[in-house]
Amino acid sequence: MRRSVWKVLFGVFSLVALVGLLLAGPAAALDKVVIGHPGALSGKYAKAGEQARGGIEAAVKWVNETRGGIEVDGRKVPLEYKNYDCESKKESVTSLIERLVTKDKVHAIFTPYSSGLTLAGAPIAEKYGIVYMDHGGASDKIFKQGFEYIVQTIGPGSKYHAGTLDMIKKADPTAKKVALAYEDSEFARSVMDGAKQHATELGFDIVFERTYPKGVTDLTPLLSALKATSPDIVIGGGHFEDGQLFNRQMADLDINVRAFSLIAAATLPAFYEALTYLAEGVMGPSHWEYGVTFDPDAAAKEGLQWIGPSQDEFVQLFKDALGKDMIPDYHAAEAGAAVLALVLGIEQAKSVDSDKVRAALGDMTFMSFYGSWKIDKTGKQIGHDMVDVQWQNGKRVIVWPAGARTAELYYPMPTFAEKAAGKKATK
Amino acid sequence: MFAEQLAGNLIQGLVLGSIYGMATMGLSMIFGVLQVVNVGHGAFIMIGAFTTMTVFTKLGLNPIFAIPFALVIGMALGFLFYYVVMQRLIKAPELASLLATFSIGIILEETVKLTFGSEFRGFNWETGKLDLGVTVLPYSKLIAAGGSALVALLLYLWYHKTRSGTAVRSVIEDSEGARVCGINVNWAYALSFALGIGLTVTSGVFLTMFIPVGINPYMGGGYTVKAFVIAVLGGLASPYGAFFGGLIFGLMENGSYTILATIKGVEPFALTRFFSFVTLLVILLIRPTGLFKSQ
Repeated sequence: MRRSVWKVLFGVFSLVALVGLLLAGPAAALDKVVIGHPGALSGKYAKAGEQARGGIEAAVKWVNETRGGIEVDGRKVPLEYKNYDCESKKESVTSLIERLVTKDKVHAIFTPYSSGLTLAGAPIAEKYGIVYMDHGGASDKIFKQGFEYIVQTIGPGSKYHAGTLDMIKKADPTAKKVALAYEDSEFARSVMDGAKQHATELGFDIVFERTYPKGVTDLTPLLSALKATSPDIVIGGGHFEDGQLFNRQMADLDINVRAFSLIAAATLPAFYEALTYLAEGVMGPSHWEYGVTFDPDAAAKEGLQWIGPSQDEFVQLFKDALGKDMIPDYHAAEAGAAVLALVLGIEQAKSVDSDKVRAALGDMTFMSFYGSWKIDKTGKQIGHDMVDVQWQNGKRVIVWPAGARTAELYYPMPTFAEKAAGKKATK
Repeated sequence: MFAEQLAGNLIQGLVLGSIYGMATMGLSMIFGVLQVVNVGHGAFIMIGAFTTMTVFTKLGLNPIFAIPFALVIGMALGFLFYYVVMQRLIKAPELASLLATFSIGIILEETVKLTFGSEFRGFNWETGKLDLGVTVLPYSKLIAAGGSALVALLLYLWYHKTRSGTAVRSVIEDSEGARVCGINVNWAYALSFALGIGLTVTSGVFLTMFIPVGINPYMGGGYTVKAFVIAVLGGLASPYGAFFGGLIFGLMENGSYTILATIKGVEPFALTRFFSFVTLLVILLIRPTGLFKSQ
């Protein structure tokens, strides 16, 4: 009697299993790839966050409409963008990543803008083992934590002035004395450590190095001490507000140097609007500028695969995405380029599995409108070169690298007395 | 080299200090007469900065013309806020007036943000420079410093040589006695508050002549902290004591940099604030009422 009961039960289970298998059919195929983004759409990083959203939406649209989607398992599926506003707050970043992974089931996370917010979200991405695409966190510190899923597209802070110093070395081998004066912040310190190291490698002498606190309203004592060292090159800054002050008080104290480069401030139009001719000849490093000349021919010359829209196509897609007649800045470009990197990574991995995608991203190189792309073992960007811009006759022109420049470097920059007399940094 | 840099920085400190002093006189005056601590002080400095920028960039006028605009705007705001808000809070607990001035500051900041945006702005007023050998001073800074000193002198004369100034002093001494003598105490309060705000907004003009960049709705915060320190240093209720307090603070800030820079392994800029506040504490321990007598 007992044996017959077991036989009946076995038969029922077998039947249920068979029916289940028949109903399920083949394994459910992937119908879309979803990227999640806890974007900084409000709060202190709202402007950069808006640019990043526009850049991602522009690239997603290009992937879906021009490229026909992402190829996975021999068929193309659309790319979907799911974003929330983290309000530029670290605590929101962590909870939104949890939500994007567990509820929205996204296949990759895009970081919010800034090194601090990127760093805040990284442990959560690691916990879930999901690819974490960093488009707005430049600090080298992020890549010293042993994170395995982070992939950077923005250039690391330590490389900001590599091109600037290479360019000056080439233009003027007699320039020797470099002065560094910068904001006492994680980002500026990371940038200046890199500048110092590269300057020393090139044979420059660091004759002055001082920091100033955040929110400074008068740099006169520091700049007076800097002036006493008679530097050929001044590199400094931290954020926009202190950069404005730095340039203004260099003029007030009549500190004339051959080259002057400021991070964060000098690349913004508001910098020249506030300082007018005092900004003539001032330079700044940037991740990307409208006008760079990266295209399929440049990629072919360097033996790199090309992907993505042309620069002008990207600009149009960006304007459409935000509904504003606004030229994208580097925050948008690097976010867009991070989308293109992920697309290639998934296609080369032939899967959306994060471990496979991360491995593929680690092995690949390519070029897009943003420039070349390659990461090291830690996920840090090593393929992308910064561009250097200089204010020439009220216009922001690209002077480095040679392959992307829109004008020759004006060197040495005019003195402040010459600028006051009407001289512009143009031949 | 050290002596040259120290001399240069002290000259710069003296110029900046005179503007710091001017930027604190309004705070001291309001406290002296109304016993109200204006926590929104920095927002009124910011109004002066925006007035200067607008006069220069929109009206195309020399920033010196911003001075009468700032004084009128400041006094109008002062009368408005006195009669609408402060008048009812004179006898109220101190926390009420603290919260009221804090709120006024936020209202002003957000109104300016809505009107002008939150970007850091600036302008470029070229006046030429005076080369003193040990340092270089743009004439715009000298105009700002000279203007500040002149305002301090005019305030002193007003307090001591005019009927309205004497009336205000009598209200400070004994408001009930002044009332019995026929002085309109409420009017003296209103005039003092309006003049204090007018002076503060005007100091924003001088400050912007000194540093014509970094103009934004929230720029006043840092100056509020400095103004409190200077006011205490100068004897909280003494407007021209505040002016001399400003001079001392400017000299300490700039002079200490050169001295601290001689210590190896020290970032002097970070320590100048430390140095200034330690000096303040020492002065207060020796003279708890500040360096100058209250009026």
